[in-house]
Amino acid sequence: MIALAVVAVIAALEAVRVVAERNTMRKLPYLNVVSFAITGSLMLLLPHPLTILACAAYFVGSTLESNAIASTWSGGIRKHE
Amino acid sequence: MNELYAILFGFITLLGGVTTAIYRDPFDKLISLSLLAAGIFPFIVDRGYVDVAAAAALIAPLGTIFTLMVCRRRARDA
Repeated sequence: MIALAVVAVIAALEAVRVVAERNTMRKLPYLNVVSFAITGSLMLLLPHPLTILACAAYFVGSTLESNAIASTWSGGIRKHE
Repeated sequence: MNELYAILFGFITLLGGVTTAIYRDPFDKLISLSLLAAGIFPFIVDRGYVDVAAAAALIAPLGTIFTLMVCRRRARDA
């Protein structure tokens, strides 16, 4: 199954890039690529209707996590004082 | 699961775990922790525990968000 192999290799390579990147903010796009690749590999590993639910949950959860880290790192909502 | 996929996803998981232990910055630690969580999910789904994977995918970001509240409070106090 060549599609799963391609997606898994992409996930591993981007995981290496997440670790190799020194800037915290530039790690997050690579982390998003890892999340997308893992979501695709979940669907390709087990073609079943319930897997769609797990994939959607993982996709939403990982994107929410990355966005929460990014917004907290940049300071959150600025209040007018 | 083929050995190739087990090696690749295990590599992602190990990389996330080792760098979570090594990094000093809390945000880098959280990013590596989500890398660790990303590597685990194919192993859960491969055994057929799809409901467990869905529940874990919704619960894992909650822990990160609670940890981020602590990080922001520390940064504001300092």
